[in-house]
Amino acid sequence: MLNASEKAYCLALQALKDKDYRKAAEYFDRAAPFFVENEEFNLYRETTRLLLAVKRELGAEPESDDELVIEEVFSNGQETDIR
Amino acid sequence: MSRTESLQGLEKVLESFLDRAVKLKEDRLSVLGGINRLDDIAREIQTGDDITEEIGNWFAEHNGWLSGGVLRTGDQNRIGEILVEIRRELGQSDDITPALDKINSEIDRWSGVIGSPTPKIILRRPPEPAEPITSTPGTVEQFGLVFDGIHDLFAELRGTKPHLLTVLDEALKKAELQNDKEALILSGLIIYYLKQNTYKVEPYVRRLKEAERSQKQRSQ
Repeated sequence: MLNASEKAYCLALQALKDKDYRKAAEYFDRAAPFFVENEEFNLYRETTRLLLAVKRELGAEPESDDELVIEEVFSNGQETDIR
Repeated sequence: MSRTESLQGLEKVLESFLDRAVKLKEDRLSVLGGINRLDDIAREIQTGDDITEEIGNWFAEHNGWLSGGVLRTGDQNRIGEILVEIRRELGQSDDITPALDKINSEIDRWSGVIGSPTPKIILRRPPEPAEPITSTPGTVEQFGLVFDGIHDLFAELRGTKPHLLTVLDEALKKAELQNDKEALILSGLIIYYLKQNTYKVEPYVRRLKEAERSQKQRSQ
């Protein structure tokens, strides 16, 4: 049987192929305990993380799940963001 | 160039890098994905699911692998091990159906081409009073005693664990926490075996070295 980390690395690469970067990052995290010394693994993992951070900055990815973003619109037409 | 434009440029570069990296690994990814799928099927059997159709599809889809050139030795070993596992699980069924027969003959065909891992037979015996380790560790007799001890320790740690890595983890814990010299040697042996079979063993080597250092310090 394959161990859980090997399966996760394989699924991470498949997720990259499908351009599902968020899922890839999750699988990389699961695979990390076994591959943390593997340079190639770390390169792919960190590149994926960086890409997700860039996408978040560009607004293409949601902020982390525990962050609440509320938009409040005042009656006078002004807007403010409360984070 | 605005900040947004810079980020968009970086986004393209990173996406392009990952895209090319995956393309370079496309062939390997296909093999690893196939092995991963076979592994999933083996796990489904353990939960009692009917995998007849799935495994039939798997054999049909990956038949091309048997013509050679695609699978590395490590891949062949992995597939061989998983097929042995599947056969063992299917063998526990009382109901021998034509579909089951067909799966078994496919497993035979695959094993015939890729080779099947040598079945391991472990004879268990009750623990014997341990001989004290003498001060002449270089003798054949002494090594024989230690080797017997390692053999028994492996049988004890193995239990019903499905994967050698779990046994290795247990052996390393025993070496680290209980200062057990035989567990240390067993760990080294398993690590070397895994390395020969293309596993990534670096984290375990690090733990082995730490356990060895710790044992040396305690004995001083």
